[in-house]
Amino acid sequence: MSEIKLIITGPPGAGKTTAIAAISETAPVKTDTHTTDDLAAVKEQTTVAMDFGELTLDDGQKVFLYGTPGQRRFEFMWKILVEGGLGLIILVDCSRPDPLADLHMYLDNFADFIRQTSVVVGLTRTDHPDAPAVAEFYSSIESSGRVLPILEVDIREREDVALLINALVSTLEFSR
Amino acid sequence: MSQYKFSERSEAFCQDLFQNMFDTSDAIYGILISTVDGHDVSKSFSRDMPAAKLSAMMSAILALGETIAVEAEQQQCRYVIVENSDGYILTLKIKDKLILSVIATTQANLGMLHSVSRNAAEKLAAQLR
Repeated sequence: MSEIKLIITGPPGAGKTTAIAAISETAPVKTDTHTTDDLAAVKEQTTVAMDFGELTLDDGQKVFLYGTPGQRRFEFMWKILVEGGLGLIILVDCSRPDPLADLHMYLDNFADFIRQTSVVVGLTRTDHPDAPAVAEFYSSIESSGRVLPILEVDIREREDVALLINALVSTLEFSR
Repeated sequence: MSQYKFSERSEAFCQDLFQNMFDTSDAIYGILISTVDGHDVSKSFSRDMPAAKLSAMMSAILALGETIAVEAEQQQCRYVIVENSDGYILTLKIKDKLILSVIATTQANLGMLHSVSRNAAEKLAAQLR
């Protein structure tokens, strides 16, 4: 039975902690603390080190999920957490002011990791009135020379999180 | 971005307290107060160090310390100590939203460092009520 490590990243409030809590078979490990800045208007707590959860795929493969802090000041944790990782899920909150810029910020900052592995993008809160269309994400990513799977998800739903993980695992198997 | 900020009076209190800590131990060369979500609030460094980056790191390491204690079925992580070839970094919480970090050379006595840091945290908690 093999084990794989996947990383979930994205802006604060995108649903990284929620996603791991939704799918983990064990009680998720969280490092949430009080928010003391502007983010407090949106959420009372924020992840400052990592989230962790685990699940077993249908074929018996064990998946360890690591969630990163979203804020850029915690980018030292991004570098620590990708060590030994096999794939990346980027969650993009479409209710934020510039979701396309958010996506590219994470694509750029995880570029070294992405070069060695696979990425799946999960769009959350796509029902927001100002949310860009999925096609805009595709063309924006293509314009930077990449082709990535993009899925619209409700991160509170276990099935949707499973969809992202299965898409990433399939991409990893396909790229072998 | 709006961030946690001390009043002038609180900042003056902190700087006086920091000076007392430096006077108590020559080995201490950095004292930092930051928020639990990683923003620097007040500091006194006698060497150049990146306060913003250290604040984010201190919040992460203290949160990890607390989480590790809970996973090991222990409670109430009081300190996280990074002991290294050049000295010590001791981090502890001041009430719910603030963290005190004290950075010292190897000349520091760890027990003394503990005591100075804990006393300072208690005074800060009382003052910043």
